[in-house]
Amino acid sequence: MTVLRSRVIPPVAAEPSPKKPKRSAEIDPSTPPSAPDEVVGTPPSPSLAPSPDARAPRSGPSLPLPRRSLRLASGARSGGAFEGPLPPPPAPYGSCPSKDEGAGEGSLTAEDAKAMKLGVGWSGRSGRGKKKPGVDATLVDSPGLMSLRSGKSDAKRVGDSGAARGFAESSVIAFEVGGNDAVVLGRVVGEAASKVENKEKGSGSPLVGSPGSRMTLRSAEKGKGKADEHKIIDLVPRASGAESGSTRGKVKYSAVEKGKGKMVKDDNMRSDNIDIIDLELGLKQLGQKLESYGRELENMRSDDSTRATDNAAKQVQTRSKRAREKVGESSSVDIRGRFRDIARQNASRFAHFHPDDEVANDLPAEAARNVNEVPREATPEPENWPGPFSTAMKIIRDRAAKMSSQQSSSTLNKSKSAITWVPNGEGRTRTKRFVPSLLELCLKVLAANADAITSLDGVPDLQRHKLSQLLCDSRKMNKQFFDLLVGGSPTEIRVKDSSWLTEEDLTDSFRQCDATNLTVLQLDQCGRCLPDYIISSSISRSANCCPVLSTVSITGACRLTDGGLTTLISSAPALRSINLSQCSLLTNGSIETLANHLGSSLRELYLNDCQSIDAMLMLPALKKLEHLQVLSVGGISSLSDDFVREFIALRGHGIRELVLSDCTNLTDASVKAIADTCPGLLALNLVNLTNLTDSTVGYLANGCQAIEKLILCRNNFSDEAIAAFLETSGEHLQELSLNNIKKVGPNTAISIAKGARKLRSLDLSWCRNMADEALGLIVDSCSCLRELRVFGCTQISDAFLNGHSNEEVQIIGLKMAPILGHCRVSLPQNPLKYS
Amino acid sequence: MRKEDTVKLISAEGFEFVVDKRAAMVSQTIRNMLTSPGSFAETQLGEVTFPEISTTILEKICQYFHWSLQYASGKESEFHIEPELTLELMMAANYLHT
Repeated sequence: MTVLRSRVIPPVAAEPSPKKPKRSAEIDPSTPPSAPDEVVGTPPSPSLAPSPDARAPRSGPSLPLPRRSLRLASGARSGGAFEGPLPPPPAPYGSCPSKDEGAGEGSLTAEDAKAMKLGVGWSGRSGRGKKKPGVDATLVDSPGLMSLRSGKSDAKRVGDSGAARGFAESSVIAFEVGGNDAVVLGRVVGEAASKVENKEKGSGSPLVGSPGSRMTLRSAEKGKGKADEHKIIDLVPRASGAESGSTRGKVKYSAVEKGKGKMVKDDNMRSDNIDIIDLELGLKQLGQKLESYGRELENMRSDDSTRATDNAAKQVQTRSKRAREKVGESSSVDIRGRFRDIARQNASRFAHFHPDDEVANDLPAEAARNVNEVPREATPEPENWPGPFSTAMKIIRDRAAKMSSQQSSSTLNKSKSAITWVPNGEGRTRTKRFVPSLLELCLKVLAANADAITSLDGVPDLQRHKLSQLLCDSRKMNKQFFDLLVGGSPTEIRVKDSSWLTEEDLTDSFRQCDATNLTVLQLDQCGRCLPDYIISSSISRSANCCPVLSTVSITGACRLTDGGLTTLISSAPALRSINLSQCSLLTNGSIETLANHLGSSLRELYLNDCQSIDAMLMLPALKKLEHLQVLSVGGISSLSDDFVREFIALRGHGIRELVLSDCTNLTDASVKAIADTCPGLLALNLVNLTNLTDSTVGYLANGCQAIEKLILCRNNFSDEAIAAFLETSGEHLQELSLNNIKKVGPNTAISIAKGARKLRSLDLSWCRNMADEALGLIVDSCSCLRELRVFGCTQISDAFLNGHSNEEVQIIGLKMAPILGHCRVSLPQNPLKYS
Repeated sequence: MRKEDTVKLISAEGFEFVVDKRAAMVSQTIRNMLTSPGSFAETQLGEVTFPEISTTILEKICQYFHWSLQYASGKESEFHIEPELTLELMMAANYLHT
């Protein structure tokens, strides 16, 4: 019934002692080189003290003694890398503390290590040629502390190597107390592994996904001489990878195995590690360990970094050291009861595993979420998935490798030789000029003489908008023209800059407005003129006074509160698109009003920079918008992965456009959710999201293949990833911004030329790795390209400017270009973008 | 100018402006009318009537056609528009897609 193997066995209890010699005998042959073996049998308490110390300073998990359960050993054997020399295990981790500590090495640690050892799941590691896996296994064995620590490092390593078949840092310790089969379960969630794994953003083996706290308990009956019920229960954290990831925190322990078979096995195993533990002492130590684990877990749970892990491990170590000290001192009287109590205390805490996803996130919520999540894998995961993105990445990498090998072999210094582009712009009819259309000319004249216009009757809406835009841009907009726009029975009113408008003017102008046909009202930058009380005297003079108003844009209405918005909405029952960007006083109450009145009809919601709105608080209301197609929440800093995941899970199928710029808390997890659930996504804005990695690009490539507009800026994506994305999902891309994606280079250029033929607008500002040849290739291949922005691209020379053969493209951003000449915002053609 | 190279644009008052085909093609609308595969009267006769466009405006439009051809061939100059005409001219230009 022995549970844990403790180094500090001999003198403490009668029961252990008989085991001890046997164990020592068994141990000795098993792990000759390992110090722990020698340690076994040495006096307990004093030996315990040094061991933690010796171990503590180690950065990696230092396994004092490669103790393994027989079963684990067998599992490890199947695991491959793990096999063979148990002794060396500590080696990969640097010095084996046990060796250092020598006699002082508490058998406890070794025992515990074994106890904690991973089970069959380790077989997954066979592929690894490194020692580390092997060591990891042993490390995991280390007593609670060690295992936790090692688990973490392990997991980290696993994560790093991408071969996550994790070790479930099982922290479930089940042990049998007494001679009967009452097993007191104490669970020490081995979150270490899971935590670290999960931290790898989306990478994670199934093992890790499940809180890896599964331990398979086995008991091996040992000791020929032991007629008692001592059983060795191996705490075998089974790699949850072997089991469903959703079983977290479950302790699975096989039936107590007794008998010869086990013994035989034990004997065999013993050559590797022996898990026989002196029951009494072991139990006591276990109890101590549980406590320390519990504390450790608390710490670890809140830790986010492996650094923290190490610190935690150190803390655990010190605690265990203290525990061990206590062990020797106290006399074990009611170990069984004690264990039971401790286990009871900690079980519930450990029963709910909360793998950490991110630091900032609410752990329990995340845990609940992560339970059923697809196991995360290492960062390069999207490349490992079988799919178009991974294929593309491979091709690109191979190409790059080939190229570099060619380059290295060739004597010539050919930079960017990947691109062969011959400037043949001489054929271009350089004389083709952009002849200004009559319309443009007329509008210019009209804008210059706007005060002479007496009426806009008969002028189509588009021309009105263009005129309004020209006037606003030249700051010539005034009340007189505004009256022309608003007077009569207009159908669309668009004023992109109403900062000149005063409250009185607004009220006055709208007095003559018959809003029965008004479908679009845009009064941007209206902070000055649109407080709450003006709404009711201008736009919403009566309830339902704008019966067909479907699009409203009142950005910058900084004096508008929830009440004003309610008034506005009450007069516009047919509202389908509302732009409330930069309305800083609006709170979640506005969203609720919107949801209550317009839940079934609102299609577009723009809330950029609404500082008073909290993302999670508005989520319930947001979920009520059934047909939302456009959600723009750029600049709302409280936006988190949780928000994105929850909202997308519900409304993802209908979403066509997402603007998430400047929501810096977002990580790859959000994009994964988006990619998985939004197949119809047409436009995505990820400006300034610096936490995103290449995984994001992978997810998008695999999941959002219909995307037409992708705006990236200052993201940390690599050239190959972007190139692979373009090759797989760039087919429908019309507008692409790679502004400040500095690593973009020849691979991307080739991919654009091949895979993004429909591109109309391309922004490569500040991408200085794009040489003339690359740009030439792009411009010549994308015949639809009309606009190419190259601000800050100092590497461009006349070779490209004069050499490309695309007649239609307009190159914006070079020196000596008229300032702001490119700032021509295209007017929306329809009131709604996607309906 | 041979007849095959010209089209006749008729204003609301009945004024007929005979212009070069290439010039008229500056207007997308006219280009579509003249080059459409169907057998429109316009195509056959080479005449297009604009009942909503007044004579002064149509005259200005024809002037624009020629100015546009000149501009494209390199001779850039300014096209002056009288402010009184501008609003109507704009609407006509919108209709003609020029």
